[in-house]
Amino acid sequence: MQSTSSHVLRRSIRSLWENLSLNGMVAGVIAAALLLAGAYLQVLINLDRMMGTWDRDVHISAYFYSDVPEDRRFSIKDDLAKLQEVENILYISEGEAGAYLVDKVPDVKPILDEFGPEVLPASLEITLRSAFTTPTEIEAFVDRIQSFDFEEIDYGQEWVQRFESFVSLIQTLGVVIGLLIATAAIFLVANTMHLVVYARRSELETMKLVGATFAFVSSPFLLEGAILGMVGASIATLGMLALHNLLLLRLETYLQLAIGNESLVFLPIGAIVALFLIGMLLGMAGCLTAVRRFWKAAS
Amino acid sequence: MIRLYHIHKTYGQRDALHDVNLHVQKGDFVYVTGPSGAGKTTLLKMLYGAVTPTSGKLLVGGVDASKLSPKQLPFLRRNLGVVFQDFKLIPNRTVGDNVGLALEVLGMPREDISRRARAVLNTVGLRGREDAYPLDLSGGEQQRVAVARAIVNDPAILLADEPTGNLDGAMAVEVMEILLAVNLRGTTVMVATHDTGLMNRFPNRKLRFESGRLVSS
Repeated sequence: MQSTSSHVLRRSIRSLWENLSLNGMVAGVIAAALLLAGAYLQVLINLDRMMGTWDRDVHISAYFYSDVPEDRRFSIKDDLAKLQEVENILYISEGEAGAYLVDKVPDVKPILDEFGPEVLPASLEITLRSAFTTPTEIEAFVDRIQSFDFEEIDYGQEWVQRFESFVSLIQTLGVVIGLLIATAAIFLVANTMHLVVYARRSELETMKLVGATFAFVSSPFLLEGAILGMVGASIATLGMLALHNLLLLRLETYLQLAIGNESLVFLPIGAIVALFLIGMLLGMAGCLTAVRRFWKAAS
Repeated sequence: MIRLYHIHKTYGQRDALHDVNLHVQKGDFVYVTGPSGAGKTTLLKMLYGAVTPTSGKLLVGGVDASKLSPKQLPFLRRNLGVVFQDFKLIPNRTVGDNVGLALEVLGMPREDISRRARAVLNTVGLRGREDAYPLDLSGGEQQRVAVARAIVNDPAILLADEPTGNLDGAMAVEVMEILLAVNLRGTTVMVATHDTGLMNRFPNRKLRFESGRLVSS
């Protein structure tokens, strides 16, 4: 057992060393594939977080008809505050509405000044609990409160739903693109590894002729593939870290409106571990394909 | 030790072996002879599983070699020693590593491999050359390395394809003497050759092939 593992280790290291440039190419191909996958994953994770932020801050503005008396408005407010979905509810009178809007969007002040005070309707500003912030739950809640004396209820539904569809499209595309990248990477790794195998063909052919099993011949290549996968994953992780620090963090300023006070995050440790595992699998699959192709052809 | 029953091998329209029947006893030393293209190499390749018969039954060491799966084949080859016509030495491995290869595939510890390889190299007259590379050796020395690799695992059967083909007279005799010594230790030896001088000098049973047919045995 010990001699077999030392054989595997010795041959892998020797092959890595003797075919340094070809192995460098294999690691490069894996790194490129993982960089693409990792960058995609990073975008997806941040989009997901962005959506999570919006979900947490689901805010509904319900505008009263102008003829609804103030005591009725307070009574509606009290009724709604008792609902389990509601975390916070704020009454904004016609008089306060202007200041409230200016506070949120300062640029509208000159326009409001022109129209004069009390041009905006009174409203209830409702914040939902985080447990009730899926589009379906929001829609159900809005349907429930439609029966009160509101002229209009605004909760940015269409935009959130469109964005959710967009993220879901990206997720589906990601699976397809991921599969394509993985297939292309295995193909490229296998073809490059085929050159490594070809460089050692006389040795492998002789080994087969003197009684080596496929497992004996292929295991050093599997280890080699795993090592190259790890090297590729390390390069990809460093590349993504550089990309994150140099590019994405600079974009934060421009994305402030969308992400609020959140900052763009790097891949979580689980995703990095997954990238390393995928890299190792890619390397091993590529190497195995190349050795198997050679093994079938050899006498 | 080796039995062939109605063995046929065809490549396209050409018969490489035609209805060959033969029996080689344990411990025999036999020559496989005949002109080029007679089927000598095909027969040897069939015995070590590099070629499968088109029809017929082939027993090697009691194993039906014509029905072996790719997974079983290595275990047949581990009981054989083969001296290839083109030596099949790995140029970027030392002589010691080349000889030890047949033991390495068995999973033998490295120290034991080195010890056995040194001992066998000593037997074939290459003492102290284990760290040399094949391309630094003469043709005769390379041939002896090939023989050393074929016998290092004490095979039950030794197959040698034209083992003296590239050697001058004295060197050819040396290699033949090594093969005879291996045979004296009980190994069945089958040598493909068309060197009549050598066969006359070391007389043994001859299997003569012509156009794929065994014409005398």
